[in-house]
Amino acid sequence: MKENILEFHQIAAGYGDRQILKDVTLAIREGDFAGLIGSNGTGKSTLIKCVSGLLPLKRGKIMICGRDNTSLKSRERAQMVAVVPQSYHVEYDFTVEDIVMMGRNPYLSFRKKESQTDRDIVEEAMQMTNTAVFRDRLYNELSGGERQRVILARAIAQKPRIILLDEPTSALDVHHQIEVMELITRLNREEHMTVLAVLHDINMASRFCQRMIMLQEGVVTADGTPREVINRQNMESLYKMKLMIRESPLFHKPEIIPIRVMPEEKITAPCHIHVICGATEAVHLLEELDAKGYTLSAGVLNKLSEDWNICQELKIPCVDIEPFTPVTEEKQAENLEFMENADIILVAGVPFGESNIMNLHGLDQTRGELYIHRNALSHDYTDGKLAKQIQLLERTKDITYIETNSAFLEILKQKEYLDKNEA
Amino acid sequence: MKNKTDGKIDRKWAIPLSILACLAIMYVCTVTGIASIPFRDANRILLHEFLHLDVDMEGITDGSITIIRSVRLPRVVLGFLAGASLAVCGAGFQGIFKNPMADPFVLGVSSGAALGAAIGIVLHFGTTLLAFVGAFLTITLVYNISKVGKKVPVATLLLSGIAVSQTLSATMSIIMILNKQSMDQIMFWTMGSLNGKGWGQIITVLPYSLLGIALLLTTCRELDIMLTGEETAIQLGVNVESLKKRVLFASTVITAAVISVTGIIGFVGLVVPHVVRMITGPKHRVLMPLSLLFGGTFLIICDTAARSMAVWEIPVGIITSLCGGPFFIYLLRRMKRGGGL
Repeated sequence: MKENILEFHQIAAGYGDRQILKDVTLAIREGDFAGLIGSNGTGKSTLIKCVSGLLPLKRGKIMICGRDNTSLKSRERAQMVAVVPQSYHVEYDFTVEDIVMMGRNPYLSFRKKESQTDRDIVEEAMQMTNTAVFRDRLYNELSGGERQRVILARAIAQKPRIILLDEPTSALDVHHQIEVMELITRLNREEHMTVLAVLHDINMASRFCQRMIMLQEGVVTADGTPREVINRQNMESLYKMKLMIRESPLFHKPEIIPIRVMPEEKITAPCHIHVICGATEAVHLLEELDAKGYTLSAGVLNKLSEDWNICQELKIPCVDIEPFTPVTEEKQAENLEFMENADIILVAGVPFGESNIMNLHGLDQTRGELYIHRNALSHDYTDGKLAKQIQLLERTKDITYIETNSAFLEILKQKEYLDKNEA
Repeated sequence: MKNKTDGKIDRKWAIPLSILACLAIMYVCTVTGIASIPFRDANRILLHEFLHLDVDMEGITDGSITIIRSVRLPRVVLGFLAGASLAVCGAGFQGIFKNPMADPFVLGVSSGAALGAAIGIVLHFGTTLLAFVGAFLTITLVYNISKVGKKVPVATLLLSGIAVSQTLSATMSIIMILNKQSMDQIMFWTMGSLNGKGWGQIITVLPYSLLGIALLLTTCRELDIMLTGEETAIQLGVNVESLKKRVLFASTVITAAVISVTGIIGFVGLVVPHVVRMITGPKHRVLMPLSLLFGGTFLIICDTAARSMAVWEIPVGIITSLCGGPFFIYLLRRMKRGGGL
């Protein structure tokens, strides 16, 4: 177990009468890469301000490297803690090298001028951040990404044990966001700096941090690995919105997909829709129908497909089969059972091949209205079996062909309107 | 790379070259004046009186010697001292206020001094001393009004400076109205002049100026960081409150000492650090010494103009403001166009 390098003991802080941090107790261990998450105004930046000595505490205490923060002189604190703000504007014409050299201030005094060691440290910091190439340019004239690298270089020149970052990437484009995060990761791993970063982007935090701390209304409400913290309950209570959580296939870290804040208009009369799908075509449609309040079922789905994932996530009953196995008669029988009570059956824009053509068997026996997405017909890998099957169906049932999913939703809306007026 | 080395050489020579130019201007201003002392004679007097060289002094009147020794040279030296002091204070103030429009008088030091002087003139008692005390009391008052807990927010400091300054000016106006016979004298005092000042005044001002300037020069790096923002400065280990106190204290000592002797000489402290910053950039390690040299030189030139242009002497404060005013407007125009400062 590594020792605690930064401890918060029941701290409370705020501006004037407004209490922002209410009761925060937290310990950051040496070598941690911790992400601080929370919605706007929950006190993340305030926490950073308290550590860096900008805001006095109302209650509790902060220990930095075993020493009480209030007993530290600002130069002593600056030797241990460096801060990287969100974005940083300087009105005067300082060069990049001037700005990075300012990072050495905690080690200098009016008697002690910059030594060769200081210059070497500044040089190294600029090399590490790729800022040495524009050392003589004015800081004012740099782009946002370049500026952020310069400020990181200044923080590195401070040779701190802890680096605090206040939304370091929020003003940057995606290229520079990743660049900055990679740089911070390097500082954490190679320079052994302990990192505490306020991050707005949960997915970025999940990807780069080993530990996530969730702050809500001035108290810590979750603390653990990204997998422990990013769950639906935490995220929905944090952001007060509908979102999905899934495993990022690339980084094997949980990620959130924000869906909507405003609730969908709910349907008034119950209506059961069965969706025949199986790959990725119906994900968005299923989610939207679910949000509108339709009773849903689906089948036959290949396990681990996107359609299957969303059914699991939204708890939509479905018939499923193992990946890459064909739909069997038994499974189709199960599927038909689901369809028995359905008011509407939709064949989503799923491609048909030998393994899933079975999905269309027995539809003539169902009582629900049948809708088929045009894409299903244009992605036919069955050597004409699909066309034949459709022809067979057309003999016994009225089929409505739809061009897009939104056209389908539009039809549902009109139908509901008519039904309501009839009633 | 070539440019960079060139730049470094430029910077290395900037201060020595400025010192040389400054000495040359001091010399020119000493030999220039309304009393017609021939150029050759003036040179001989300087060599004889100050370098103690054995020069032929034949044909030079005692009057000429006195003019050079006790009138012109002390004026030039005091002018340099005053200009240099005010300009360095201006640079310091602009640093802690992070505001290019700040000058040494912005917190009311000048109004305090003027009120003190006015009282002194009316009572015929220790004008210089009362001006000095007035300046000091004013800054103490402004500082304590602005204090919130242990901190002194810069914005509050500026605002209370303006408020106190206005109140003191109004009080001075009342004194002037009630004492019409002293009005001219008070008016002339507030315009600032080096007229009639001698070595005695220089000796009075010199220790304060030297001490204050030395103190200000130790704050260069911290002032640089202060320009990038007060919060950043704290995070980079600058003791911001102590820095403010040191700069305020040093500047007040210097300014109070200078203006209690010379009266209020405006615009030197505002304009000179500006011009220098435009040339050298914002780093105080270069800005401070060059402001010192430029400020001194600027005031000598203005004073020489003040005493040589007309038959009667124009107060030097009028000349500096006359030059400074339009320049200030030019700066404002430049800012409006987004030229940056």
